[in-house]
Amino acid sequence: MTVLSLEPRVAGSAMDFTRVNPRRSLVLLAIGAITGIAIAGYGLFTAKGTRVHGVPPEAIALVNERPILRSDFVTQVQTQYSVPYAQTTAAERRKVLDDMIDEEMTMQRGLEVDLPSFDPDVRTALVAGVELQLFADVLAQKPSDAELRSYYDAHRDKYIRDGEMRLRDLLAAVTPQRPPDAARRDAAAASVMLRQGALLDQVLAQFNLADSRRLLDSGHVDTGDVFDFAARARLDPAVFAAARALTTGQVSDPVGAADGVHIVLMVKRVPPAQRSFGETSNEVWRDVTEDAKRRVRENNLKYLRSKADIQVAVP
Amino acid sequence: MTLSPLARTRTHIAVLAIVLGMLVVLGWHLRVRHLEDVLVRADPDRAVSEAGLLNFAMDRAPALYSRHCAGCHGRDMHGSRPRGTPDLSDSVWLFGLGDLPDIENTLDYGVRSGHPKSHNITDMPALGRIGQLSAAELRDVVEYVYAFSHADANPDAVRRGRPLFMDKGSCYDCHGQDGTGNVDYGAPDLTGRSGWLYGGDRRTLFQSVNDGRHGLCPAWITKLSAAQIRELAIFLYTTARRAPHSPTGAAGAT
Repeated sequence: MTVLSLEPRVAGSAMDFTRVNPRRSLVLLAIGAITGIAIAGYGLFTAKGTRVHGVPPEAIALVNERPILRSDFVTQVQTQYSVPYAQTTAAERRKVLDDMIDEEMTMQRGLEVDLPSFDPDVRTALVAGVELQLFADVLAQKPSDAELRSYYDAHRDKYIRDGEMRLRDLLAAVTPQRPPDAARRDAAAASVMLRQGALLDQVLAQFNLADSRRLLDSGHVDTGDVFDFAARARLDPAVFAAARALTTGQVSDPVGAADGVHIVLMVKRVPPAQRSFGETSNEVWRDVTEDAKRRVRENNLKYLRSKADIQVAVP
Repeated sequence: MTLSPLARTRTHIAVLAIVLGMLVVLGWHLRVRHLEDVLVRADPDRAVSEAGLLNFAMDRAPALYSRHCAGCHGRDMHGSRPRGTPDLSDSVWLFGLGDLPDIENTLDYGVRSGHPKSHNITDMPALGRIGQLSAAELRDVVEYVYAFSHADANPDAVRRGRPLFMDKGSCYDCHGQDGTGNVDYGAPDLTGRSGWLYGGDRRTLFQSVNDGRHGLCPAWITKLSAAQIRELAIFLYTTARRAPHSPTGAAGAT
């Protein structure tokens, strides 16, 4: 209860709270400030991982201020001796600790000499380790069937079984004795005869045709089955286009190329086919995961670039 | 304006009370910090055998469990079969033998948490979805596993399923030839004697083999203090030690 007093107070008394006392105010302010700083300092220097004096409780050792965690140490002891921690001897524990300290020091030395900057193995391992961390969430997820189906539908062209062909690529070579027009006439006549069922050897001899040998150095002889992608790589583009349109037993029209005029006899043709979702679900899953990893990698690099100071010399 | 002597006295008492209160709070905090430090520094066997430390941890851990673990493992600690979160109230452990360091290690680094030190050696592959087993083979291997704990399994399918379990499916690699699992890999016991993580009925077994399983537990080392992790580990260890030997959902349960 506050009452008015008629008695005069002693001016300047620190305990007289009815009057303003600058000295008291300063003392209280100082006490408050010191208390605040003390609490902040206590919190700052005792927070996890920030202790600078002695070994923090969660660590078994500090090596150049870097802690070796007790839990890691206990696990390592158990792993190394294959018995519960309580059954290990002091000497065994000491050995494990010494090994862990040695490893920590060696690792720190590696960082000190900037090993990742010049050792390709360390560099590769570091990049792989960082990426593995990035991909942890992606690898942990198992996409649902609906997600896989949706991806498959959006990328159907990725799941086509490549076609196969076994063919004879016959060439009417252009030579000084056989100008281009003559070569085209020979090829056209040969094509007609083959379509009419004439024997191949007879046609080859009659029109002086030869195998183009384009598929020989692909590891297959001309009469072997090759996938479409291999044939595309070896044959003249126009010849491949003509071959791809043929079915088994068909003969192409003459196709002009740099070395002469070709005709293709398709011995056996297995056309490309769409693979079903069920047949490819494993690949789809892999592709979904790889796509997700690619996105994560790109986003990470974008973030790193936004933070990095990169200077490129103009070539 | 001046205060009466009574009011002055009250003011003095109030100031003194505030200062004393702050000292008490500070003292309490320092005591707790001290106990935390002692708890974390203690060897695992001492931490669970010394009454003072054990009681300190057991008093504080339930609140931690409610805040961080109950969301997946349930307030009653029984876990969830639909989510595949293990029952923590029994004495069955998926990883390790249930010693304090094992539990602490799992809490520290988690299960398939993305932390490099987490339990992540193996994963239950989606044998059906990746095409390793056909639909018919899936049914047979499921029947073989079902027969570990059920008497009404189809004997023909069981006979066909055995070589799939032992060879093509590579199930024995993790679960063992007798299906009792392996705590090094976190491969569950398939005999039903240790209960079921997801369920032992045909439908659930089929889902497990066809779609795979990928149980996760976060790495708490980045979220909780060492003392909090040890308190939780002691809580789980003690709860498991108090549990009856036969787990809930024993043989034959689905």
